[in-house]
Amino acid sequence: MTDSSFILKHPMQVRVFHFILAVSFLTLAVTGIILFQKPLQEAAMNTVIQIHVVAGVVMTLDALAFLFLAFDRVVMFTKRVFTFSGNDLKWFTVLGGYPQKILLHKKVEVPPMGKYNAGQKLFGIFVLVGGTLLILSGWALWTLPHIIPHGDTSMIGTIHLYVSWILILFLLVHLFLGIYMVDDFKAMFLHGRIPYEDAAEKSPLWVKNDICKIG
Amino acid sequence: MNVEVKTYRKGEIPGIIAIDGQNCRGCDACKRYCPTGAITGMFGATHRIDRDRCISCGQCLINCPFGAPYETVDTVEEVQAKLGDKRYTVAAIIAPAVRVAVGEPFGLPAGSLVTGKMYGAMRKAGFVIVDNNFAADLTIMEEGTEFIQRARHALFGEKAEHGGEIGPLPQFTSCCPAWVRFVETNYPSLIPHLSSAKSPQQMAGAVAKTYGAERIFKVDPEFIYTVGVMPCTAKKFEASRPEFQSACNFVKERGGASPGTPYPDVDTVLTTRDLARLLKRMKIDLAAENNAEGGTLFAEYTGAGTIFGNTGGVMEAALRTAYVVLTGNNLAKLEFEEVRGLRGVKSASIQLRDAKYGKDVTLKVAVVHDIRANIRPIVEDVLAGRSPYHFIEVMNCPGGCINGGGQPICDTGSSWIGRILPSFAWS
Repeated sequence: MTDSSFILKHPMQVRVFHFILAVSFLTLAVTGIILFQKPLQEAAMNTVIQIHVVAGVVMTLDALAFLFLAFDRVVMFTKRVFTFSGNDLKWFTVLGGYPQKILLHKKVEVPPMGKYNAGQKLFGIFVLVGGTLLILSGWALWTLPHIIPHGDTSMIGTIHLYVSWILILFLLVHLFLGIYMVDDFKAMFLHGRIPYEDAAEKSPLWVKNDICKIG
Repeated sequence: MNVEVKTYRKGEIPGIIAIDGQNCRGCDACKRYCPTGAITGMFGATHRIDRDRCISCGQCLINCPFGAPYETVDTVEEVQAKLGDKRYTVAAIIAPAVRVAVGEPFGLPAGSLVTGKMYGAMRKAGFVIVDNNFAADLTIMEEGTEFIQRARHALFGEKAEHGGEIGPLPQFTSCCPAWVRFVETNYPSLIPHLSSAKSPQQMAGAVAKTYGAERIFKVDPEFIYTVGVMPCTAKKFEASRPEFQSACNFVKERGGASPGTPYPDVDTVLTTRDLARLLKRMKIDLAAENNAEGGTLFAEYTGAGTIFGNTGGVMEAALRTAYVVLTGNNLAKLEFEEVRGLRGVKSASIQLRDAKYGKDVTLKVAVVHDIRANIRPIVEDVLAGRSPYHFIEVMNCPGGCINGGGQPICDTGSSWIGRILPSFAWS
């Protein structure tokens, strides 16, 4: 492989899933904050919760479609985010070198990572677990609040609230770094490919162990 | 709370339940429990209660997952102050459903029957006991006798003893204040079908301030402060109805001391939750109390009064009375099991011989609870003249008073999560 080669990091089904997830989650986050703060009049609040419900249904269908249509991708993603080594701990000690790079314009040594760095793994775990909790709790709060024992409904509401806030905070970091790493951003939202040299720098273990030349 | 109300009379508390907008999530759960559609506010928006449509049953309050509905009337401090005022005899009118629920806030298992402990705790607090079961016995004699009169009038053309008007059949029970207000605000043409008998709470209040004042407590009725202790939020509304000043009127008619301000038969009402709060404020642990007696004639009662707290209880008690009065014989078996259980509408036919007329009669009765789900077809049949029933018991709350809006709030119900959580003890 040469430096001018590209690596397909995000196949089509991943990009479609991610795009719908991004749009639906951003919608859910904004409408969820409005529902929490209640700043609007009655009819507007009703519209907001209707948008929230529709976005929630879209996110659910997106997750289910990805689960069933790209099950291998789900398995690979799950395996990758739940696979840890000593390098992950070391990565956290320098936070991937990003603060030094962004704030001090300094480059520090970063432990070699696989396809996902340690921060992305942590985010991935929260997206997997938290996203599942949000979907299940959201459906329960929408459809069954009068049937589920209300102590449980209240607890489900609290889980929905706190998981939402955690994921929104993660999302802010994810958005910033996603835009900061413009090649990865373009890959995820456009063509799926990242430059070889970029992958070799940020994900050397992935390039070394999992990538092979095709064509 | 400044919205003008149209369905309340002067003196009546205009709505016992309100919604705290801070806690409301707009989830609509409460609307699914409201029997009258009184809860407004679109899905997602903060909900409100239309007080003119509200019957104060409190079902929204005990079923909201987020604790948004609350009671607008809280007289716990007032009662505590009266208990500390030695001029007053403070009489607790304790409903049957309270004694199987008030143990819960003191850590006893749900459903524990704590009549003796409750008497002990309340007497320690300074109350005298006027058990509502005693008044329920009075109610059933009134209501059962009224039913027999209506039935004999309809079947045999019997006239009223004193020439008064006799109400139509079917006769509806009138113990449930939420049901009575439901009829008044939704089906006013049915009012003549309601039994003219007061509820046990109101009979107890009147009796305590008349017979009780003269023969039992031997005090001026103005200095008897009657406190309904009820599983029900609508009882707070009922006690405020202006017609319930019988004791005051009775004292006036007999030329007794004329009070400056007319006093009600029942001065205030505490729910089961309120009672638990009051006892805790007074540092009385009901669970640790020894069993005590009621201490007065007003704590004597029969099993008929006791079963008022469940759906079917009033009907079963009424049938026992009706049977004895109509046939002149005691029942070989007291239980009428057809009217027990949690089916939404229960019905039964009872064949008996009216000893006075020497004729066999078949009484058809029905028992309805959870009026949100079950009452409208029954009412429509009565209005259309096609109802097969002679006597219909109605209780607003699902299961009857035992599941009233004033009972301890059971957060977990039959949840498996609720059973597991105690395993993870934390502090």
